[in-house]
Amino acid sequence: MLWPRLRRGLTPYLFLAPFFLTFIAFWLGPIIASLIYSFTDWRGFASPRFIGFANYTKLFADPRFWVALKNTLFYGVVYVTILNLSALALALCLDSLWLRFKNAVKVGFFLPVTISLVVAAVIFEMIFAKGVGLLNIVQKGLGLGEIDWLGDPRFSIWAIIILRVWRALGYYAVIYFAGLQGIPGDVKEAARLDGCSPWQVTRHVTLPLLKPVILFGVIMSTIWALELFDEPWVLTKGGPADSTLTIVIYLYQAGFQYVELGYAAAVSYVLTLMIVAIAIVQKLLSGREVA
Amino acid sequence: MSGPSQAEQPAPSLAAYLGTLVVLLVLALAMTPVLWAVLSAFKSRADIFAGDVWPRRWSLENFDDLLAKTLYLRWMANSLVVALASTALGLLFCSLGGYAFAKFDFPGKTVMFWVVIASVSIPAFTTVIPLFGWLARLGLLDTYIVLILPFAANAFGIFLMRQYAVAIPNELLDAGRIDGAGEFRLYWSVVLPLLRPALGTVGVLIFIASWNSYIWPLVMMRTDEMLTLPVGVATLKSDQLPEYGMLMAASVLSSVPIIGAFLIMQRQFIAGLTQGAVK
Repeated sequence: MLWPRLRRGLTPYLFLAPFFLTFIAFWLGPIIASLIYSFTDWRGFASPRFIGFANYTKLFADPRFWVALKNTLFYGVVYVTILNLSALALALCLDSLWLRFKNAVKVGFFLPVTISLVVAAVIFEMIFAKGVGLLNIVQKGLGLGEIDWLGDPRFSIWAIIILRVWRALGYYAVIYFAGLQGIPGDVKEAARLDGCSPWQVTRHVTLPLLKPVILFGVIMSTIWALELFDEPWVLTKGGPADSTLTIVIYLYQAGFQYVELGYAAAVSYVLTLMIVAIAIVQKLLSGREVA
Repeated sequence: MSGPSQAEQPAPSLAAYLGTLVVLLVLALAMTPVLWAVLSAFKSRADIFAGDVWPRRWSLENFDDLLAKTLYLRWMANSLVVALASTALGLLFCSLGGYAFAKFDFPGKTVMFWVVIASVSIPAFTTVIPLFGWLARLGLLDTYIVLILPFAANAFGIFLMRQYAVAIPNELLDAGRIDGAGEFRLYWSVVLPLLRPALGTVGVLIFIASWNSYIWPLVMMRTDEMLTLPVGVATLKSDQLPEYGMLMAASVLSSVPIIGAFLIMQRQFIAGLTQGAVK
């Protein structure tokens, strides 16, 4: 009777095997290997040599890394603030909308999220373009001067922020709206009967109850912000004058243009640590299971 | 759930009118870039550099150029093959694994599950660097398999599948076993049909991740023939004299499949994209 029992015991492993083998080969293995390589001078074909923390000290001594970090953080703070505040406001507006419209509006808001980041960036290339771009046509119409959005270091990061907020706003508004829908109506009703004005209900009942969802939105958008790559790479290649150089662009250049894979692995681990720290903060703050 | 029901809702207040106005304004703003891209795709080169909003003459020359001068159709085929294959494989891998996590007890289960969950917050490009080196050595750069497998092992996908599979009644599975069904048979004809809502959600998740991914194929694909749509479209962007019309035609054409899929399966898309946000 051993064989049937053994077969029962093996079943879950067999079922998990396709996922886990692929997962180990393409995710878990590389994640661990990347950490190990970050302590080596690996350049692709020659075998890597252990060099201790040299990559990390080189990294922290490189002014371009600090520029990349500063750009990423500036972009992140501005983007996360604008995005979440306006998404929240928009969700409150959506809540007051007549029920009939809500679904169609939701679908409209979601549309930009389905368009790939790269395609969105290419479309915005022609919105920010000097002379022929939509923004400059509008600016001319309003009597404002022309701005070389992508060519002027003062504006390039703002162009990226505008593009990113455009793409994500509806998505976050729908998430916040779903959170608002989850708040039981009788709680709001009770506050209203106690004489609260609509603003007081929002301020003291709705927003506190929405806190977990807001926390989720802020954390998710922060993580996404730190991983910024596609749009600045497509639009400006990190320029002009490194004004849109992000950590991932820095990493990409180190790894795939200069083929310093060990060094790039160190960059990736600095960023990974930042993101894991944020994920841990989220766990601590929410105490909920959000994967 | 959402406040007073429709019947007892009071007449729209001033706030409701204002809110509706704001929503419609934002909606118009959200649609503007898409409309601009469509309009520009149909403009002739002269019209684009004239800087008008409406095309003076609707022209298909941008689309002709795109199809004649670039490998656009090949990139589209690559993207379709890769996204469909990773979705199909991913659904198989994630449903099998999620079911095993949900309904079997076995040594190492907890550890394995937490390893998968913990990996979700690790950014994808951490894996790109060692994989680039390894795959280059193995001569596997520039192959479909490299674009398919990483997306098939979707950690969030297996997590979602497990959540849905937990709800399957044990009695149903035991009844199947008593009837003499083998374990795989049981999975295929009892579990899988019950997982249908999860299949839609996870399928959309994997399809979008694969269809829109950029840095991964950018690093792993070496020849023009093997590029996927996002990478290919981005290569059309030259720094000298940008062919805006052709770029817009490429943007519009490559968004049509995903927007079409979105409009047909909105429910699954919105479920897939908002999973984890609100319980």
